[in-house]
Amino acid sequence: MDPMKGSHVKLLAFDFLSLTQNASSSSSSSSSSASGAVFLYKKCRPVSRAETLGVVVSREFKANKFLKFLIDDGTGCVPCILWLNHLNSPYFSRRNPFNVRVLAEKANDHASQIQIGVLARIRGRVTAYRGTLQITVTDVLLERDPNAEILHWLDCIRLARNCYDRSINLPNLQKQQRRF
Amino acid sequence: MESTEIKHGILVTLQDLHPSSPLFQQGSSLRVTGNLKEYSMGTSTAVIVDGSYKLKIDAQHLRDLNFQVGSTYQFIGELLIQPDNEAVLQARVGRNVDAIDLNLYYKSLQLLRQFQAEHMIDGTT
Repeated sequence: MDPMKGSHVKLLAFDFLSLTQNASSSSSSSSSSASGAVFLYKKCRPVSRAETLGVVVSREFKANKFLKFLIDDGTGCVPCILWLNHLNSPYFSRRNPFNVRVLAEKANDHASQIQIGVLARIRGRVTAYRGTLQITVTDVLLERDPNAEILHWLDCIRLARNCYDRSINLPNLQKQQRRF
Repeated sequence: MESTEIKHGILVTLQDLHPSSPLFQQGSSLRVTGNLKEYSMGTSTAVIVDGSYKLKIDAQHLRDLNFQVGSTYQFIGELLIQPDNEAVLQARVGRNVDAIDLNLYYKSLQLLRQFQAEHMIDGTT
């Protein structure tokens, strides 16, 4: 498996917004929100999770439903959705109630941190809703140091040039993994 | 939230904002950084400076931001060109960035622009 598929790929917004949906995953998902979908970076490398960092520039809160917000990293705006429906969604009804409550508290805590003007690092699954790419949020970290954003730009550039932009030879990678 | 209508603030230095610049346009969405030189509570306007360059900020939508002269701020908003050709940024987002390493910021901004230009070319070929 391409290691990009299982990791949180650090992408600048303009690169995130240019991800394309894998034809096979788009055909298998009839709903507008493709929960298990795989997206392609430059039509080649698979991306299912992403990390973005930037300033929160908009916020739409619906209690016990969701928080939608936009992260502006200076190259684009990444739409994010944080679900807050753990306690009333049938999706979670079959799961351990204690774990669901913990998840709900964590999500509510994240939602209270997301305010206009804060610098936030967001991790989550790449999904699409009505044809628009978004991050379905799993982790939120507020950055107090404004230099974190600069270091994120440099990380994204370095990773794109040295890793994401390179095609991967899977048999060689598997041989290397066996050696370790 | 009308997410599709909110444009990202293009990263610019105050030096970039001269009348012949393509970014010096009515309604351009920009992100600017500078030291707060003046702030008027009465008119909710601020002036930020970077070296010899300055920009007026309309801060009427930033009620929660604490303005301190001498501190460094970053603003995201839309440029309004007044009839006398003076530019005012109508800020919708503002934050204090006192700890920012401006030297690193400007150098990294150049790398970011270069990277973005390369990737845009790659994407079209």
